[in-house]
Amino acid sequence: MTRRMYPFYFIAIALAFYVVFTVVPSLMGIYLSFTDWNSYVKTIRFIGLDNYSTIFSSDENYMHGIRNTVVFTVATIVLKTIIGLLLALMVNKGIRLKSFHRVILFMPSVIPMLVVGIIFKSIYDPQYGLINETLRAVGLSSWTQHWLTDIQWAFKSVIAVDVWKGAGYIMVILLAGLQAISHSYYEAADIDGAGVWKKLRYITLPLLMPSLTVTTVLNLLYGLKIFDTVYVLTNGGPGYATDVVYTQVFSQFSLGSYGVGTALITVLFVIMTILGFFAIKLMSREEQG
Amino acid sequence: MKKTMSLFLLTGLAGGLLSGCGNSGGNASPQASGSSASATSQASEAASTTPAKKNITLSYLASQDWIKDPEMKLAEKFEEQTGIHIDYQIVPSDQYSNVLKAKLASGEAPDIFGGQSGKFDLGPLYDVEHNAVDLSNEEWVKREDPLFIEQSSWKSKVYALTVWDPSSSWIMVYNKPIFAELGLSVPKSYEEFLKACEAIKASGVTPIYEPVSDGWHHTLWFPEIGVRYEELDAGLADKLINNSEKFENASVLEQSLSQFSELVQKGYFGEYAFSNTYADTEKNMAGGKYAMTLYNIGLPAQIEQAVPGSKASDYGFFPIPLMDNQDLNVNPAAPSKFISTSSKHVEEAKQYFAFLTEQENLQYLLDNEPKFTTLNFKDITPKFNDEQKAFFDTYGKTTGTVYQTAINYVNPQWMDIGKDMAAMMNKQMTPKDILKNIDKRREQQAKTAGDSNWK
Repeated sequence: MTRRMYPFYFIAIALAFYVVFTVVPSLMGIYLSFTDWNSYVKTIRFIGLDNYSTIFSSDENYMHGIRNTVVFTVATIVLKTIIGLLLALMVNKGIRLKSFHRVILFMPSVIPMLVVGIIFKSIYDPQYGLINETLRAVGLSSWTQHWLTDIQWAFKSVIAVDVWKGAGYIMVILLAGLQAISHSYYEAADIDGAGVWKKLRYITLPLLMPSLTVTTVLNLLYGLKIFDTVYVLTNGGPGYATDVVYTQVFSQFSLGSYGVGTALITVLFVIMTILGFFAIKLMSREEQG
Repeated sequence: MKKTMSLFLLTGLAGGLLSGCGNSGGNASPQASGSSASATSQASEAASTTPAKKNITLSYLASQDWIKDPEMKLAEKFEEQTGIHIDYQIVPSDQYSNVLKAKLASGEAPDIFGGQSGKFDLGPLYDVEHNAVDLSNEEWVKREDPLFIEQSSWKSKVYALTVWDPSSSWIMVYNKPIFAELGLSVPKSYEEFLKACEAIKASGVTPIYEPVSDGWHHTLWFPEIGVRYEELDAGLADKLINNSEKFENASVLEQSLSQFSELVQKGYFGEYAFSNTYADTEKNMAGGKYAMTLYNIGLPAQIEQAVPGSKASDYGFFPIPLMDNQDLNVNPAAPSKFISTSSKHVEEAKQYFAFLTEQENLQYLLDNEPKFTTLNFKDITPKFNDEQKAFFDTYGKTTGTVYQTAINYVNPQWMDIGKDMAAMMNKQMTPKDILKNIDKRREQQAKTAGDSNWK
């Protein structure tokens, strides 16, 4: 009995911290989403589904934020995975200065978002930014855009920054997966006369699937709770073009409507759980077969 | 098992996200706690190097741009005289309200906190009856402009000290040489304003410098002309306050937004309005690429100080011309100073307020702050130049309160109105949509505040 309890003794402190600082506040957050919690009243009252009704029926901007969040998540998962995989394949090969390339490609992931925001606001500046200046210099003035302030481009530009920042991190995880694949598979494939594409399709990708599952779930969670990239680059604008759930939560908290804010986060939590469940299920099926 | 563990992990991570929400009230003040630590260390340093008379540090939380350099100089003088050190904790303006509310709610308010005066802010927002010290019996109250005292009072008690420029309404500041070169005179109506803009645009100069990227500045165009709305629709403010009228149904408000939108669609704000910044106003106005901007009367002096070779006398003024406005808008609500009830140094904070409001110190503040032209206290010698005097002589006859102060639940949604107006500039929203959103947010706030007019 005592021996069986040993593992629980070891995790007891960590579990206590997890319960106190994660589980309890989470449950409080869910409860508060059913209340009129705001900065003007001293007593919090239970109001049922009123906050959810506000989100789903009275203001299409909330739905716009949820839609943008999902689009952002899907786009960044796809792009970061493809680019991360290509980078991992590249640095996994015997290219020159392999370690140097790995460090350079990983570096954007460790730059603080505030710094990234300042850098890219400058790069994207329509008058003096690097992109438009370069386009003008090579005679492509008609290609210049208002990258962060034109509703056609703002969201794409934000996604591009996030992909630039995150692809190196995905590369590192996938690189670890690639290095765990035994060379004997490739040698056998070489003997069978398989080409690059067939080796990728039938050896690399299936054996990389556990790593891809990890990166997909991480990207999914990161994408759905995106805030910092949007906040520092556009603050949800122009207008509501790049608004995501968390910029709306920020706005609700600024208005003192904490109940609606927590309801928005709870909606995101539900979406996150459902999408995460299906992502894991789908990826597990791929892993198995 | 693996799947179960994965789901557990996923739920845990998502839960972590939610927990941020549950803890939100307590973790919104990283800068402040950092500053607090720095305050302590600064206080210890001061104690070890100077013969401190009281060895006290008063923490002072304020939004960006509320504390002027001359006030900081005065604080140094105050410290020399009394040994009381003022530790300024400056928070970016877009986050200030959240930080302050979190600190007040958690009982961790600094000794002195800055806040906008105005009935709504003092009551529902700051709950001054519980959070701020009653200052009604302070000597300076008798010398402060009664209009400002009114806005810093709640239930007949004065809770804040306001030291601000009463003439700092938002008005159009124009480049006189550009107007003269094009043979333009100061527009007296919206139609004349449109004609002037068209002529300026045709000359290759952008008519209006508008920094939309800051999120708050372009909002000014709408509520600042409250006095004109009242002229055109008498009693509208009262009807909006008591909820017998909606923003959505007020045609003057819709027309005003439509005119603003027209200026944008005609290209008078130029190509770069969405990336222009408020901080670059002086530089851009001095460069002559823009002919006008919405600012207050101190801008020319700021331009002269910020950009070598530029002259304050090159700039003139006229009221915001939407809806043919020819009146001066007054906002007696302004950044103010409150003493926290949780402060252990209330008397020292009062002493600081008394020091700031000494006649010579007020005059020093005015004389050394380019943004101010006068102050809201008796017997102050203003520093209006001829251009400014002429402006007040011409337009100062009819004045009224701006809508963000006159109508409750408008000021707290300032940034949201800004987002809506930016969406309108991008043709994503109509003026009517903006007004409907204002009504929705007002209703939400009024109901949560338990406003009897919304029951």
